[in-house]
Amino acid sequence: MENLGIVFALIGAALAALMAGIGSAIGVGIAGEAAAGVVTEDPQKFGKVLILQLLPGTQGIYGLLIAFIVLSQIGILGTPVEISTAKGLLYLAACLPMAFVGLWSAIRQARAAIAGINLVAKRPDQMGKSMIFAAMVETYAILALLVSILSVVGIQGLNL
Amino acid sequence: MAVVAMDKVTIYGTRQNRKKILEALQRRSVIEVTEESSEENFQKLDTAKARSLFDKAASAAEQALQILDQYASEKKGLFSSLEGRKQLSAEEYYTRAAEVDQSMNVAKEIIQAEKSKSELLAEIQRRENQIVSLLPWRNLDVPMTFEGTKKTAALIGLFPEQQSKENILALYQEHFQRDEGMEKEPYPIEVQVISQSQEQTCVFVLCRMEDKAVVEQILRTLGFARPAVFTSMVPNARIERHQKKIAAAKKQIQELEEGIRSYQTQREKLCFLYDYYTMRREKYEVLEKVRQGKRIFIITGFVPHMQSQKLEAELSAVYGAAVETEPASDEDNPPVLLKNNAFAAPVETVLETYSMPGRGEVDPTSVMAVFYYVLFGLMLSDAAYGLLMVIGCGLVLHRYRNMESGMKKTLTMFLYCGISTAFWGVMFGSYFGDAVSVIAQTFFHRDFSIPAVWFVPVNEPMRMLIFSMALGIVHIFGGLAMKLYMCLKHKDYTSAFFDVICWYLLVGGGVVYLLTVPMFLQMAGLSFSLPAVVGTAAAVCAGIGAAGIILFAGRSSKNPAKRIAKGLYELYGVTSYLSDILSYSRLLALGLATGVIAQVFNKMGSMFGGGILGAILFILVFLIGHTLNMAINLLGAYVHTNRLQFVEFFGKFYEGGGEKYTPFAVNTKYYQVKEEN
Repeated sequence: MENLGIVFALIGAALAALMAGIGSAIGVGIAGEAAAGVVTEDPQKFGKVLILQLLPGTQGIYGLLIAFIVLSQIGILGTPVEISTAKGLLYLAACLPMAFVGLWSAIRQARAAIAGINLVAKRPDQMGKSMIFAAMVETYAILALLVSILSVVGIQGLNL
Repeated sequence: MAVVAMDKVTIYGTRQNRKKILEALQRRSVIEVTEESSEENFQKLDTAKARSLFDKAASAAEQALQILDQYASEKKGLFSSLEGRKQLSAEEYYTRAAEVDQSMNVAKEIIQAEKSKSELLAEIQRRENQIVSLLPWRNLDVPMTFEGTKKTAALIGLFPEQQSKENILALYQEHFQRDEGMEKEPYPIEVQVISQSQEQTCVFVLCRMEDKAVVEQILRTLGFARPAVFTSMVPNARIERHQKKIAAAKKQIQELEEGIRSYQTQREKLCFLYDYYTMRREKYEVLEKVRQGKRIFIITGFVPHMQSQKLEAELSAVYGAAVETEPASDEDNPPVLLKNNAFAAPVETVLETYSMPGRGEVDPTSVMAVFYYVLFGLMLSDAAYGLLMVIGCGLVLHRYRNMESGMKKTLTMFLYCGISTAFWGVMFGSYFGDAVSVIAQTFFHRDFSIPAVWFVPVNEPMRMLIFSMALGIVHIFGGLAMKLYMCLKHKDYTSAFFDVICWYLLVGGGVVYLLTVPMFLQMAGLSFSLPAVVGTAAAVCAGIGAAGIILFAGRSSKNPAKRIAKGLYELYGVTSYLSDILSYSRLLALGLATGVIAQVFNKMGSMFGGGILGAILFILVFLIGHTLNMAINLLGAYVHTNRLQFVEFFGKFYEGGGEKYTPFAVNTKYYQVKEEN
């Protein structure tokens, strides 16, 4: 039972990659549907709507990032290290902000992106503004990423 | 850093020169014509009808070009959209304009040819359908309308399922005897099966003329039906005739296609045709705004101050027009044209996506440009990516000099952002992430890495966070400084003090005070300690700022209680400063994202070990991974730099709402007409 630390840590890493990835997949998917609709009317807008479609895709990458840092710190990638149960649980907790906020914010951001896609369909000159609306949502994913990164990096130094 | 001063220009010209003056104005493209209310003795033309005609002509040209593209598409390079429009001199323009009617005919012929082609295709389809329905009758050697001879009657038709001749005869006999009585001999009939298939049997039945009604009646109860196709010819001959017609139609289509292809050489003329009518349309749109008198006409509009003298000189010398120029005042609400130096001008496109400066506002581009490049570079912060951006944008800019100006500005902006990215990459020691040390270790078994000039954010995230927020404070204070500048420019000293200086004191004092608190220093990992006096002074400054805001932010209200309440509400705005500063933590997050994702890909590449195979796989993973990483982080850096500018920076001072200066010009798609001198 004393080896549970690494199990908890890996659950954390998996959750970060999993949930943020699911969020981004859903987000990019629904935004893609809207984008394809616009392109049927006007193929020239492909470049613009593609950028908007991609905006909810970053959460998945943030999740991957957290998962990767955790994996390399708990020794699954690279040199193996001893992880106590407490430390493992800390890693799990550290991954949660990115996991949950990643999932939710990607879906919500996708909805803002779809609204932006509709905006661009009618007024292509308003591209900048439509991007900003979606980027507003991403702020919270970035904040979650920040908390997760700082925690994960911080845990390594703890003597537990 | 400036909004270009506009002159309000009124041009009086004689009517016979109207066309020439309008054309000159259009080619010179310096005037934005405004609509003025009509005066007595002057009227305006209704040009809607003419414009719709031009629209039709332009769309015909466009349609012809599209058709031409289907048959012989022009070879276009990957970057052809960057090439910009072709240049035409005024002289060339007039020679080409003279050929417009001829080009119009070409366009019409192309469209007509395409139309005949689709008609022919429909005909082929129709004939093919008929052939299919005639095929089962192929072996019938009389016309399908054949009724019989003098003494005999022919019944041509089909049964709904597969039947043999014997079967039909047997059934006929059975039914005949049931209907007409057992003792009667069935009327003689001759049945010939012409074709059979699972679904139907085509038959030719012959009987005596006088038996026809009875025989047909009986056959009908067996399921016999007259065919749906009728032709007065022998089916086989009919099919052959259809086939001949189809061959002819196909040949005709080929000829038509050849014909359309032969117009390939006329493509340029069609492009010109399209531009020509777009231009005329625009001219007529302006014509509607022109006030027309009996002998003279009046045009009013805005012209940038630098150009108004030259325009006046030309119009009065060449066309004998009288021109009145006066500086435009804010009440005229002149359109906004920005003019910046080469360093700041590229960022104008970003400003445009937000809003042009409104009435009385300064152009923030040059201040914004500095921050834009720095923030963008920090978010991407990889020397190699930055270098790639510089090389890519530089090459494209060098290769396609005649690019549209908006595109050129955007690329130049990314070029500068690339320089900044490379700079921060060197500071933070990131070259394709940690590629250098990974390659050294995997393939040469050596520890080698390029040290960071400053520090490595991945190892010291707290330090980077503090730096990001410090930069954020500088950025926000820059925004406040812009507000201060505007207040001073408008000589609004009370606003300058209470809305800007007080905030400086409050936020600045608060930040400095925080730096004297040991707990905060420990948390942030800062090692210096400020003397206690500084802390006290900072607290006093913050207090003065807060008091100023509480007492004077609501100074527009007369009621003292209301005034204080308003002041307190304004003070509550300090939370927005807090969240603004925290928002700059994205600099750290996005910077780390670039670095760590790059590391992930390097690590993935190095997993295959050293050796030749390892090297090949490494290169593959490296190329794909870093392309992906660069693309996604470029997008992220662009979007979030914009956000920091729009929300955190502009939120402090900028409202926008100005109208962009869009001169009456030649807004064409393919050609650009250059005015001499």
